[in-house]
Amino acid sequence: MFMVGVLFFVAAFSNVLAKYPARPDPAAFTPFYEGDTGAPPSWKYPFGTTALGTDVYSEIIHGSIWTIYVAVGVTAITMALAIVTGITAGYFGKYVDDVIMRVAEVFLVFPSLLLILVFARIFQLSVSATYWDVLGMKIPIGLTMVVLIIAIFGWAGDARLVRGEVLRVRELEFIQAERALGASRVRILFRHIFPNVLSPIIVVATLTMASAVLIEAGVSFLGFGDPNTVTWGRILYENFQNIGTLWWAEVFPGLAVFWTVLGFNLMGDGLADALNPRLRE
Amino acid sequence: MTEIKEGDVLLQVEGLTTYFFTEAGIVKAVEDVSYDVRKGESVGLVGESGSGKTVSALSVMRIVPKPGRILQGRVNYAGEDLLMKSEEEMRKIRGSRIAMIFQDPTSSLNPVYSVETQLTEIMRQHQDLTREEAKDRARKLLELVGIPEAEKRLSEYPHQFSGGMKQRICIARALALEPDLLFGDEPTTNLDVTIQAQVLELLKKLQKDLHMSLVMITHDMGIIADMTQRVVVLYAGRVAEVSRTYDLYKHPRHPYTEALLAAVPRLDKRKVLEVIPGNIPNLIDPPSGCRFHPRCKYATEICKEKVPQLEDSGDGHLVACHHWRELSLRAEE
Repeated sequence: MFMVGVLFFVAAFSNVLAKYPARPDPAAFTPFYEGDTGAPPSWKYPFGTTALGTDVYSEIIHGSIWTIYVAVGVTAITMALAIVTGITAGYFGKYVDDVIMRVAEVFLVFPSLLLILVFARIFQLSVSATYWDVLGMKIPIGLTMVVLIIAIFGWAGDARLVRGEVLRVRELEFIQAERALGASRVRILFRHIFPNVLSPIIVVATLTMASAVLIEAGVSFLGFGDPNTVTWGRILYENFQNIGTLWWAEVFPGLAVFWTVLGFNLMGDGLADALNPRLRE
Repeated sequence: MTEIKEGDVLLQVEGLTTYFFTEAGIVKAVEDVSYDVRKGESVGLVGESGSGKTVSALSVMRIVPKPGRILQGRVNYAGEDLLMKSEEEMRKIRGSRIAMIFQDPTSSLNPVYSVETQLTEIMRQHQDLTREEAKDRARKLLELVGIPEAEKRLSEYPHQFSGGMKQRICIARALALEPDLLFGDEPTTNLDVTIQAQVLELLKKLQKDLHMSLVMITHDMGIIADMTQRVVVLYAGRVAEVSRTYDLYKHPRHPYTEALLAAVPRLDKRKVLEVIPGNIPNLIDPPSGCRFHPRCKYATEICKEKVPQLEDSGDGHLVACHHWRELSLRAEE
């Protein structure tokens, strides 16, 4: 909880915490030139500077926003897909179940990372605009595409879990009791089954955030990310050639990813304990 | 809908047949079951596990779980055939006119909602009530089923109640719309004995006060004796005997009933309990003829070949046995 809290805090106050503004046009590699290229960590540049003279500390701070964007975006889409398909499959059963689960299995057997890379590159090449302007906020199109792709390849496992939970809850006696009281199907599904499968869903959602951050970092590190957005993975990508000399430009963004993923995982475990009434005192 | 007076037939089940179409084969869970329930009366449905007691009740409410299907029969309820109703019409009847309480109170309540929500949900679903009115009625219901501090306990959740209390809440919920007919599916099996007695007393009292008909589903002959006026004995999905409760204990006519009564321990007499040899038959492939014949000590050739029909042995005491005339079965004194 605390670790994730730090991430959100940093993102919320990024303009105050960062020493330098975000790069205006990341694709052009416009650096924050104060003449200090490749400076080691110091009081002025806590995490050092890159070969181009950008301040690693500021970049990480600005990147935190995109990390959250990826984590929340992927999870929202994944969970929406997983919940709708999982509940439908679990509750209606029979051939509906068969069809949905076979589709899910198809998605599960894809070597998803490779496909994500392929699709990311296709989108990268086919998209000309760089931002959508939504209420004055610049939403990077490339990163959004990456989010969509990760989500599309990630829903299947979670849908399975939701389906399993629905199957379990569906057989509980109170569902039959509700039917005996004259509750309609829709009502049983949304008022009675859904709340009872919610706690495992919340836990999985947290873990999905962790893996989304990790996959996005991986995609960006391999150079398939959005060239217009400085995510942590991209900092790693831009600097990995200099890893022998300017180690700080790799280690600190890496630690940021590590911190976040660990934080989400610990939060998931914590939520699992908190939501499980059997483990509660 | 005709007006049903006290003592008139409220529910008439005729030739009800429900099968389960499982992968292993067709389970003939309920076959040609007929009985009736009068207004204000309590009727017991007795039988071993798997004898079709519960399924026959679920069939009346048309909530047989998959892969079960009602194949035949008529369920006449206050002059209307429930099996002919649309799902939507049925939904309106469930809960408001026929209600059911289940065996396990612990799992019959949704753990995520407060008692108030569970009680008011059903009222507001079937009737146009404001939140305040519904809450008021919920409070009265809790008082009716003997839960103290109703106001405070309304906001509590199921896990904060004991088993007996939960069953009381289930009863309150079933009674929320004052149904004419209440099914109790082994409502006390999962409760300990002292609580059992309290819950049964409560049911008895409520049934009287609200002029409800009650169908008690149980395997406990003691509960039957205590609670009901008439009994339907089911064996392997078929009706073995229908009788007034008093007559059943005095003069059982079906060998199965006799064996069932002999297997009940008694406080007033020391005796070795008799067991019924064998197990309840596999309902995918039930025995031919009379389904009880492999376990019956009076069985003859005809029992293997012909299905006995329910016959009136006098005074509305129905029995399905080829030999009821010759047998004079021993009643436990």
